[in-house]
Parts: sequence; structure tokens; C-alpha cells
Amino acid sequence: MTGRIVAGLEGVAKAFGGLRAVDGVSLDIPAGEVVGIIGPNGAGKTVLINLITGFYHASDGQITIADHNVTQWTLHQIGRLGVARTFQNIRLFRRLSVLENVMVANPAFTAHPLRGLLALSPRRQGRDEAMDLLALFGLADRADQSAGELAYGDARRLEIARALATRPRLLLLDEPAAGMNDRETEALVDDIRKVKPRLEAIALIEHDMSLIRALADRVVAMNYGRIIAEGATGTVLSHPKVVEAYLGQEES
Amino acid sequence: MIANLLSTENIVFTGVNILLAWSVYLTLMTGTLSFAMAAFMGIGAYVSGILTAKFGWPLVPAALVGTLACLAGGILVGFPALRVRGLYLMLVTTGVTLVVKVAIENIEYVGGVGGMGGLRGTTPELVLASVVVIGGALWLLSRTPLQRIMDAAREDENVAASLGINIVFIRVAGFAAGAALAGYAGALYGHYIIFIAPEQFDILYSVFIALYVVLGGVNNLWGPVLGAVVITMLPEVVREFGVMSSGFRSARQLIFAGALVLLLLVRPAGILAFRRLSIRAGRGRVPVGST
Amino acid sequence: MLAEQIANGVVVGGLYALVALGFTLVFGLLDKLNFAHGEVVTLAGFVALVAVQLGASVWLAIPIVIVVTGLSGLLIELLSFRAFTSKEGHSVSALSSFALGIVILEVVRLEYGAAPLNLAIPTTIYTSGISILGAPIPWVKLATLGISVVLMIGLHVVVGHTRLGRQIRAVGEAPTSAMLLGIHVTRVIQYVFVVASALAGISGLLIAMQGGFVSSEVGFTFALKGIAIMAIGGMGDLRGAVLAGLLIGIAEGIAIHYGLGGFSDVLVWLVMIAVLLIRPEGLLGGGRREVRA
Ligand SMILES: Nc1ncnc2c1ncn2[C@@H]1O[C@H](COP(=O)(O)OP(=O)(O)OP(=O)(O)O)[C@@H](O)[C@H]1O
Ligand SMILES: [Mg+2]
Repeated sequence: MTGRIVAGLEGVAKAFGGLRAVDGVSLDIPAGEVVGIIGPNGAGKTVLINLITGFYHASDGQITIADHNVTQWTLHQIGRLGVARTFQNIRLFRRLSVLENVMVANPAFTAHPLRGLLALSPRRQGRDEAMDLLALFGLADRADQSAGELAYGDARRLEIARALATRPRLLLLDEPAAGMNDRETEALVDDIRKVKPRLEAIALIEHDMSLIRALADRVVAMNYGRIIAEGATGTVLSHPKVVEAYLGQEES
Repeated sequence: MIANLLSTENIVFTGVNILLAWSVYLTLMTGTLSFAMAAFMGIGAYVSGILTAKFGWPLVPAALVGTLACLAGGILVGFPALRVRGLYLMLVTTGVTLVVKVAIENIEYVGGVGGMGGLRGTTPELVLASVVVIGGALWLLSRTPLQRIMDAAREDENVAASLGINIVFIRVAGFAAGAALAGYAGALYGHYIIFIAPEQFDILYSVFIALYVVLGGVNNLWGPVLGAVVITMLPEVVREFGVMSSGFRSARQLIFAGALVLLLLVRPAGILAFRRLSIRAGRGRVPVGST
Repeated sequence: MLAEQIANGVVVGGLYALVALGFTLVFGLLDKLNFAHGEVVTLAGFVALVAVQLGASVWLAIPIVIVVTGLSGLLIELLSFRAFTSKEGHSVSALSSFALGIVILEVVRLEYGAAPLNLAIPTTIYTSGISILGAPIPWVKLATLGISVVLMIGLHVVVGHTRLGRQIRAVGEAPTSAMLLGIHVTRVIQYVFVVASALAGISGLLIAMQGGFVSSEVGFTFALKGIAIMAIGGMGDLRGAVLAGLLIGIAEGIAIHYGLGGFSDVLVWLVMIAVLLIRPEGLLGGGRREVRA
């Protein structure tokens, strides 16, 4: 398995007016790995994920996913290719129930919405699989609640469950532990380990270094839109440039 | 008195208005408020009218052809038009209604401004049956994954898209389905009033249909029904009970519009706001009153 | 004569521009679509009618109309806009203002009926004038053109270069931040509605003075064109609204010249659809707003 590239970026850049939020990033996410992406606030980590998932289109460079050049693809095309994500500022369908948030991601129907017309029974709609996912993230007894009512930690876990429901090959997590307490963060580490075998690869943005240490096989550090260090987790975290970048900017 | 309220005319008009309200509801489910319904109603009435009045077709197949014409029209209009949204889409669809009306006015074959006659065949039974069948279909729809996908697309279209949902397809489908239903309602309407003219498919009609739906609420498919029934029957009730005798037409619109302004004020979140939707999740337990 | 129709088109365009300016103010600055605007145009004519019937001269009627219609703007804002702040709020207020417009219209009709009524002003106001390119153009129409250009320039300066203008733009772009900056958001929105409605008042008055009669139909007719012209001009660009108003006036003149009179009424909407789909930011608009997906 290892060695094959799930997602590859080549000289990818994104400019907003004069600001180069991502500035020539080249990066491979190989199969079987969890890649940690770190960097101070405003480094361009979220923009990078937005580029990979098609929320933004690169001003320069090329993005390849599963051997397809997806640089100009639309959101749903990239989604169907098997890229799923969570959001730094949680974006659930707040007025749908917790269960529906997961069921709606069922690829049998997202790819062929009209086929949904023939699936009248909850079983054929994939309710059981959705409930399993919820159970995995400890949300089963909240299934009927509206997603907007969830506590912060629950909402973050529901986003991961929804992303997994698309049966992705690549999962991109944008600060999944933000706003969680230590106990919740530890549980999250376990959850991510549990679902790892379902995925080809994971990219994980995080400020919480304990999470990075626990999960990442490899770390990429960014600052000012560029990669400043890359390699084994321990090496990167103690790399002088990385230390300097974090010191130069007050951590939030 | 009640018997008078259940006159053939009232039943047909109420039924047609329910179908129209549902057509707005269908479109609205994908996040689109369309003012093009009068245009599609007109197209449905004219296309089916040509088939019955000029070619002697029976009503039902003619109405279905009218429906298909509107489905095609909805797709044709929807693809370019749905690139804009919100108030802009309101304007574009207003334009569609005005343009279609003038276009019909200039087609000599269907009588131009003068209109076209000889449309017959709509019975109260047919209207009632249509309401039941279409209502049943909408109810079934509300229990399918498609409904959930439309809800998600409306809530946050970018997130929905990144789950693999083709938003353009969903929105065009909703728009075209609404157009088709409006076309069918137009066919029934035209074949009841016998004589149709372009002025009947005016922009005001489009806005009124949207208002029916707003009045009733769009949280489920009964809201639009309620709105359509109240609005169609209100003036009849008023007339039956003799509250008003003169200036009747004007007073009807005045009461309706005034009530609407007040009602919207009472529900400031906007009756258009979709409440919790898990009623559709099919798990049984229905949580109440989150808004 | 083509030239004559074009000259006529220009002055009619001036009126369109004036109505469109009101829509543009509210939509462009506050992102709200006020469908009741057209019925304020109607209202203005009838306020003038009442004033004149009560013995006021035309010149006295003008400030009366401006004050009454300006105040109606407060009412419209209060009833149809203030409460609607949700995600769907824009559509709901648009519908609510449409209903409010119907209320205004039907109240007028209950009182005065649907038929046009003669406005007892000196006929010289709408007959005397000069000849331009062979078209007899009454002074009042020339004045209309002049007034809309002057108002456009004035508003453009106020919005672009004054403290109030900055506040208005701040409210339009980010009401919450504006509030945090200490701007009295409701007050600012009220200003815009008062000014826009007074503009509708002036338009309605000029329409009545151009014809010597008042009619409950004018509001709807002009509102439909005004909205489309606003969209063509750029949805928020005051200069665009005036330019588009004049262009549409001329285009209609040309259409009438070639015997396409019936077509001239939807011309503006065809242009609007084309503009919105091809260049949603309008003729002059900077494309600040997110129109598309
Ligand atoms: N849509 C946008 N328009 C303009 N600038 C943007 C946009 N999105 C991001 N930026 C800018 O790009 C830069 C990188 O932002 P990004 O969100 O990627 O940072 P980050 O590394 O995720 O930071 P954080 O850890 O705070 O989430 C920032 O300066 C940000 O202000
Ligand atoms: Mg970020």
C-alpha cells in the first residue's frame, strides 16, 4: 500500500488580491499515512484544504488526486472522487437531525439523487450504517436531536461522522480538537485511530501538538503560505524554523 | 351557505391554487423563490389548449403534454437563470413571466391579446383526484433521501456539494418540477374557464402564488395547502356572510395583503424559514418547538 | 420621426432613472428590495391631488408630497423590513413590501376608484415647452431629466464622500460590525428609506404634472421598469441607474418608431435578463456582491 500517492500538490498557490495565502506548496500525501499540517495562525493551512477540496481554485500549480488532475474540478466532482473534510468553523446542516446529517452523505444517493426516489424504507436509505457511524462517535442517543443543538465537541465528532459517511479515500480534518477538553481530545485520538483503516490517508491540521504526536506519521509545517519544514514528527516539531515561527507569533 | 362555498367553481379554483402553491413549495425546497409560475401556468394552459381546442385531444393527455412542455421549459430557463440567486433570481423570474406574457400576446395562432377559447373538460373530480395524487407523491417524496439532499442543498450548498451533491442539478430539478406542476395546474385552470388570454398569466398572479405559500408556511406540504385554501375561500366566505358588499374586489386584496404584512410581522424569523426537518427522518420520535 | 422618438425617449428615460434611483438606493446600499416603492409613486400623485383639492398651489403641493412620501418610507421600513433579519429575510421582506404596496394601492382605490383623475393644475405646466429635434418637449419633462441628473449627482456625492454616506455603506456591508462601531444602524436605515421614498414621491409628482392627471396604475408600471433598470445599471450604482434609465428610454423610443410598441414594454426586461445572466454586476457595477454560486 505505502508509496502510492493519494493526493499530490505541485507548486500550488492561491492569492487573494496581493496576499499569497498559499505560495507554491508541493506536497504528497501517500497512502497509509496520517499527515499532520501545523503552522501559526494565518499560515495558510485552511486555505490549503480549501484548495484540495475545491472550495477555492488554485491560482497556480496542479493538484492531483487518485491520478486525476483535479485542479479545476468542482466541489461535487472532488467529493465524489473520495475527498471528505471537516471545517474549522463547524458547518453542519443545523436544521437537519444528527442522523440525517450522516444519512444525507450516503454516496448511493448523493451521486444519483433521483435514485433516492425509489428508496422509501429507512433501511434502504442506509439508516443502519448511519447509526453505526453515530455509535462509533458516541452520538447514537443524540440521533434525533437537531444538529444545531449539539455541544461543541459533539458537533465536531458529527462532522467527522458525516465526512466518513461519504466513504472517502482521503479525509481532511481542520482542527478537529479545537474547543475540546483533554478527555475529549483523548477520545478523539482513539476514534481517529479506529476509522483510519477505512481510509487511504488522512491530513490533519491541528494546533494541539499532543494530537499531532499521537496520530501523525509525518508533519508538514507552514508559515506565510509556504512549507518551512517537513518530515518525521519529532524532527519537524523541534526544527528551529518551526520553533521560531511559533515563537514569533503569540499562540492562541 | 356551506353548500355555496362548495360550489364547483370554488372547488376547482381552490384545487388549482393548491397545486400552484405546491409548485412554489417544490421550487422553494431547493432554495429558489420563483416568480415565473404564472408563465409556466400560461404555457401549460396554452399548449394543452391548442391540443384540445384545435386538435380535439382529450384533456388529460393534452394536460400531460403541457406539463412536459413546462418541464422542458423549466430546464431550459433554469440552467442559465439559476446561476443567479436570491433577490436577483426573483428579478430574473419576474422577467420570465413578463416576457412569456408578451410573447403569447404576439402569437396570432393562439389569438394574441384577444385570447383563445373552447377549452373544456376540467371537472371538480379531476381536480380533486389530481390534488390527491400529487399530494401523495409529494408526501412520499418527503420520506426519501432526495428530500434530505434538497434540504441539505438549501441549508449550505457548498458543504452539500462537497459531499458529492451536484447542486446545479438539484436546483434545476426543483425548478423544473415546480414549473411542470404549475403547467399542469394551468392546463386544469384553462380548461375550466374555457377562454384564456395572456393577461390572466400576469406577474401579479406569480406573486400571489408565492404569497399563498408564505402565508401558509413551507415547513411541510400542508402549509401551502392551508394558504391556498384560506386565500381562495376567504373572499367567498366574506361574500357569503355579507360582511362586505361594495368595493368587493378591492377589499379582498386589501384584507389579504394587510393580513399578510401583519402575519409576517408576528413571525419575524420569516415564515419562509424552514423549521426543524427531522419530522422526515422516519425514526418516529418527533422533537417539538425548536424555533 | 426617429429623432423625435429618441428625444422623447431621453425625457421618458429621465423619469425611469428617477424611479430606478429610489430602488437603487435601497438595494445597492442596504441589499433590500423594496417592492412598495412603486406604490409610493402612486401615493404621491394622490397626495398632490388632495393638496390641490384643498386649495394648495402646485408649488405648495411639492413640499407636502415630499414630506408625506418621505414619512411613508419610515412606515415601510418599520412594517416590511426591520423585523426580517434571518437568512431568508431578504426574500421575506421583499414579499412583505410587495403586500404592503398592495395595501397602499388598494386604500387609494377604495377612496378614489381605479380610473385616472384630473389633477387641477394650470395646463401650461405640461403643455408649454420647446422643440428639440422636431419633438415638442414640455418644460416639465426637461425639468424631470434635469432633476434626476442633479439628484443622482447629489446622492452620489453624499454616499461617496460624507460621514453619513460612509455610515450607510458600513451598515449595508456589515450591519453587526457597524453597530459595534457605534453607528445607530436603525437610524441610518431609516434615512435611506426616507430619502428613497421621497425620491418616489418626486417621481410620482412629476409623472402627475407631466400628464395633468393622477392614476393608480402608474406605480406598478414604473416600478416594474424601475426595478429592471436598477438591475441593468448595476444593482447599486447610482450613475448606472441613470445611464440605464436613459438608454432604455431611448431604446423604447426606437422600438416605437419601428412599430414595435407592444414589444417596448418587455424590452427592458429582456435586457435585464441578459445583463443579469451575462454580466450580473450590471453595466457599471463593481460586482461587490455575491450574485452567483
Ligand atoms: N477568502 C479569503 N479572502 C481573503 N483572504 C483570505 C481568505 N481566506 C483566507 N485568507 C487569508 O489567508 C491567510 C491564510 O489563512 P488560513 O485560514 O489558511 O490560515 P490558517 O493557517 O488556517 O490559520 P488558523 O490556524 O488561524 O486557522 C490569512 O491571512 C487569511 O486572512
Ligand atoms: Mg485554519
